[in-house]
Amino acid sequence: MASSAPLTTYASLISTFTDFLTVAIHTILYERAIYPQTSFLSARKYNYPVRQSRHPKVCQWINDAVSAVEAELLTCSVDRVAVVIYAPESLGNKPLELFMFDVSRFPVIPAGETTTPFEQTSGNVAVDLEEQFRATMSKLSVCGTSLKHLPASCTFTVAIELKDDEPNKGRLNAPIGHPQPWVPVPPNLQRSRGARKDGADLGGVKTTPVRAVEAGECVFEMWIEEGKAKQNVATRAEPSSGEVV
Amino acid sequence: MADKYNEYLAVNVLNEDRVVGFPSHSPLAEFRCANDRGVVQVSYRSLSRALKVHSNLAKHMLYDFHHKQTAKKPGSVHATYLIAGTCRPETSIQANEVNGHDAEDSVMQSSPPFRSSSMPQQEESVEEDVAVKLLLLAKEEDLEEAKARFDEITSVHIYSLEPTSLKDLQVLSDCNREIRSKYSSEDPLEAWKQYGTIQNPNVKACNLLILFTIYTDSIIEKIKSQATASSRTTTLAKDEKTSNTKPGDDTKPSRRASGSHTPQAEEAATPSSKKTTVKAPTLKRDKSDIFKSFAKSKAKLITEDSAGSAGASSAPESGEPSAAEDEPMKDVSEDEQEDDFVLVNSKDTEVANRRSKAEKAEREERLRKMMEEEDEPMNDAPSVAGMDDSQEQLLTQKTESQQSAEQEPEATTTVSGGRRRGRRRVMKKKTVKDEEGYLVTKEEPVWESFSEEEPVAKKVKMPTAAATTAKGKKGGGGGKPGQGNIMSFFSKK
Repeated sequence: MASSAPLTTYASLISTFTDFLTVAIHTILYERAIYPQTSFLSARKYNYPVRQSRHPKVCQWINDAVSAVEAELLTCSVDRVAVVIYAPESLGNKPLELFMFDVSRFPVIPAGETTTPFEQTSGNVAVDLEEQFRATMSKLSVCGTSLKHLPASCTFTVAIELKDDEPNKGRLNAPIGHPQPWVPVPPNLQRSRGARKDGADLGGVKTTPVRAVEAGECVFEMWIEEGKAKQNVATRAEPSSGEVV
Repeated sequence: MADKYNEYLAVNVLNEDRVVGFPSHSPLAEFRCANDRGVVQVSYRSLSRALKVHSNLAKHMLYDFHHKQTAKKPGSVHATYLIAGTCRPETSIQANEVNGHDAEDSVMQSSPPFRSSSMPQQEESVEEDVAVKLLLLAKEEDLEEAKARFDEITSVHIYSLEPTSLKDLQVLSDCNREIRSKYSSEDPLEAWKQYGTIQNPNVKACNLLILFTIYTDSIIEKIKSQATASSRTTTLAKDEKTSNTKPGDDTKPSRRASGSHTPQAEEAATPSSKKTTVKAPTLKRDKSDIFKSFAKSKAKLITEDSAGSAGASSAPESGEPSAAEDEPMKDVSEDEQEDDFVLVNSKDTEVANRRSKAEKAEREERLRKMMEEEDEPMNDAPSVAGMDDSQEQLLTQKTESQQSAEQEPEATTTVSGGRRRGRRRVMKKKTVKDEEGYLVTKEEPVWESFSEEEPVAKKVKMPTAAATTAKGKKGGGGGKPGQGNIMSFFSKK
């Protein structure tokens, strides 16, 4: 739960955001029918009816993923958080949809200052924030129906995109020393750097904006990208829609 | 007015590409609208509140808009329908079974749901075919299927409009939250005509009861403040607090009409809000104060028959503090005794005081009587406001509104041969077992003939010792003979 004084310190800002992220992931799972709809129960968050998964392993997984994101957020190195929906194994395991949370505009603060209050908290931030979260949830649930249909048995994951390696108050963003091997980004997905332009496939085939939330220091945007693979999957899946993987 | 709704709906529902809140450098900024909330669905209720029209008119507006838009561009607006009607029980069973898995329709039934569980076995052998009233919320694509469920449809209308089909109908509940937050300032008793909300003609604002509570509280305060020393004010403050902390505590099963409202409030407060043991000692003291102001004598508190009576459960406890507060409180109880009959014999200056107290206590008696008759539990015990003007005001209101007010027969006294005889009202406690098994203590005024020389006959539960000392303190007024009371000498003369 968010602390009693949301958005007064960086730590409370992050915790508010991670609560929101948890709810958003549950909502995405429900809307995109990753798990059967009966496995969700109705709950209320931010004074709005939302769906929450009942399966303990799902909840556990989501909580673990979100706490990992939170750990990274506290180091101010996160650029974007993405919830990616993959096609099932049979259809090639390609990413079909991407629910992107752009948190690059979160304040960057030195390591020891996470519990220092911000200098200026304007107005009634808590109410405003709740209302914006509510609006985001409502928009998210509507967007779900405007997106093209997903094939059955999709899978999903949560990914973080780190900020590019800028000398950031003396901190390196790149996870040097991370145990898993590094893989270079394919050229069509590379971001612009200097003279080079954005990769052709960045942003997907279709981008659907959801909402930009701005409440005090909590500023982030959310949108949905649909990938090329989804187009291909859609055309392939239609004749064989009766098959269950 | 006619076109307003078109505009409202177009802005709120139709504009699919409208995204709210994107920063100014984004190309989508042009779609930012004044209503930063980003309404996605509009129900007929929120439309009626927004445009200040009757709900039925709002339903027409929704239908009209939907009709026009789908004619122009099919699929641009999606409607959710509300169908009301009756259906056969067998159909309702299917509805119940389907309901758990079917996210399409929400079934709200007015008949008891237990029926459905027993029905499957007895389907063929059901003789009585009880029609079930059904209210179904259906998406427009499921409309025909939903209609087929009904035997007889009493009404179909559009419940809400949204840009695309809703996966989860429960998001429509957000419209009601919006109504509650935006339009809560409107007085429902006036607004209902405009919006067409269903109204019970017998309902009236609760104000009288609230004022009544204030009045009784104020009576208690007045009596106490006059009879007691200033040190008493701390307990008074506590009384107020305890009665205040029971806002709207409708203690439904344990309705204790134990003759006063404030102990009722406190009793309710104890189980419901303050369960700590810390509260118990303070409550004891408060109770004893209240009881003293009502009970005929302080001694009554001690010897009260507390057989299962909830109100008197603290009587034994209050006995101790009451013993401690013997001297000052005697005045109060003394007042109660004297006030019922016309004072004939006193020449003291105290009489003047007592007369004013008598008026107040008479009013209080009448109030108590009326309270006894009124069967409804007192709902809100709000903060005690300024009392003086409200007292008169309340009294007139109360007498006006009371239709079946029993006229309180006058207490009569006669003085003959140095004795006072007559009939007067006495508070007696009766403990009654409710139909729910709860013990209800009622303190009822009953008529009783009394004779001064036998104080024991006057009050059944009053031990003589305390009474005589109480009487003795008063001096020339109401002194009883034959009690070893020196003052009795003077009263007879």
